[in-house]
Amino acid sequence: MTSDEAPGADDGARKVGPLPFDVTKAHQARSYDYLLGGKDNYAADRAAVDEQIKIVPNLVFTMRQNRAFLGRAVRYLAGEAGIRQFLDLGTGIPTAGNLHEVAQAIAPDSRVVYVDYDPVVLAHARALLDSSEAGATEYIDADVRDTGTILSRAADLLDFTKPVAITLLSILHAIPEADDAHAIVATLLDAVPSGSYLAISIFGPELLPAETGEALLDNTRRTSLQQYTARPREQVLRLFDGTDLVEPGLVPVEEWRQDPGAGGEEKSFLWCAVGLKR
Amino acid sequence: MEPVAPNGETPDADQDEPAAEATVLRMLLGAQLRRLREGAGISAEKAGYEIRASRSKISRMETGRVGFKLRDIQDLLTLYGVLDEKEQAKVIALAGRSREPEWWTRYNDVLPDWFESYLGLESAARSIRSFETQFVPGLFQTEDYARAVTRLGHQIAPESEIERRVGLRLKRQELLSRARPPRIWVVMDEAVLRRPIGGAAVMRAQLVRLAAVAELPGMRMQVVPFARGGHAAASGSFSILRFEEPDLPDVVYMEQLTSAVYLDQRADVEHYLEVVDQLSSEALTPAATALFIEQVIKET
Repeated sequence: MTSDEAPGADDGARKVGPLPFDVTKAHQARSYDYLLGGKDNYAADRAAVDEQIKIVPNLVFTMRQNRAFLGRAVRYLAGEAGIRQFLDLGTGIPTAGNLHEVAQAIAPDSRVVYVDYDPVVLAHARALLDSSEAGATEYIDADVRDTGTILSRAADLLDFTKPVAITLLSILHAIPEADDAHAIVATLLDAVPSGSYLAISIFGPELLPAETGEALLDNTRRTSLQQYTARPREQVLRLFDGTDLVEPGLVPVEEWRQDPGAGGEEKSFLWCAVGLKR
Repeated sequence: MEPVAPNGETPDADQDEPAAEATVLRMLLGAQLRRLREGAGISAEKAGYEIRASRSKISRMETGRVGFKLRDIQDLLTLYGVLDEKEQAKVIALAGRSREPEWWTRYNDVLPDWFESYLGLESAARSIRSFETQFVPGLFQTEDYARAVTRLGHQIAPESEIERRVGLRLKRQELLSRARPPRIWVVMDEAVLRRPIGGAAVMRAQLVRLAAVAELPGMRMQVVPFARGGHAAASGSFSILRFEEPDLPDVVYMEQLTSAVYLDQRADVEHYLEVVDQLSSEALTPAATALFIEQVIKET
């Protein structure tokens, strides 16, 4: 596939280059791998996460619930909603229950395009993810902000005249204010037809005491490659402009269509929702 | 990052190698004890009580961080319901470093101890990630290529010994056709494809085999072209083995002329993880590698 080729030197239009490989600072994808029990992480990732757990003890719960939300949302999209094409941005390091596995378990012909801006993370995705025979997976080296590259390369595998589910899970809080997350999402949504879906999970500052949220963001500023931005709930809702939220709307990740009897006392601090494009 | 010498040696490479090997065996034994304990539904506390020790002692045993007393193992096995003497003896033999015969014991005449340990790890691994600088990995070699490589290392050996060594290598490849083979992710320097071991005809057949193996499920190959990747020049060959049991540490394996190095301390392992992570992002993708190998076949 042409999209499998490394980006050429003439790729001057990229707003953001690939992430340099640096194991001396915590990395969002590797920290998430550690939180989910993986071994593809480094000392700096574990040290940062261990510090953050002291600030927000529900960090482990939150990220595991984020993963569980991916599972329930994709089962809904591939099942009830009948979606067969997925565009996943900020893929991360593969672990159990990857998006295409969930989708292809329900609909083996599901086609999934994974996008990540970290070449090391993407190398893991290429090496560890196996598509079903009937379906297909493709991998794009691109920053979420580089929507032009993403959409043109994704068109190699996805048919943009048919509905696509766009998933942005625990990624948009890594987009600073200046890079206009709203415009990024709007551009992606513009490229897909009515009947497409948008699934987002994102840091919810309202779900933590104000000083705890601040302390967490301070910590990541000090320890992590990615810098996080807190967006209030109404801004998060605005990301879904042009869609109708499916039930139950914008809720903490552990509450979205939770399996009966699975609810507990613990609370996460990520909002999530799934919207259907009008 | 700590510098890695071109020959892949680390500062502790030439000291205490038998101890490192014993660690690997302890890990495997520990994992086996844990499986048996959990299978019997017995808590670590209860197991600790049985051998007059703490819960944490059991945990240290099961992760291979401490040695085992034969009497403790006997007591634990009895507690876990492993009453059959033969079964007990098997585990105890592992503890004593004289392992239960595996297929490769038939090759004892050409099999150094340090490589025997590797075969044990290789067959237990869930995933193997390696970097190769010079030779096609043993698991992918054709018989002719394996013979040519073996002759390089044993120039004055009689023909019968060469054939025994080649036989061992081919037997080892049965790993690939196992019902649940390990996931194998290999990064190779371009030199591996270009150095015509055994001559052009042997090399060409080897490259054709390599292209076919690359298509196996769970197999990923990536080539670092000469034009890319300083790390490929700076590092020697090594493998990182990962096991099913989450408690077992990753193990780095490096072969030397007359011995091997095993590293399982996380801080050591991470240096190699870093190198192979960097290499796999600099290397051609698996899809581009397939095209690259095809091109080299045409040129060979």
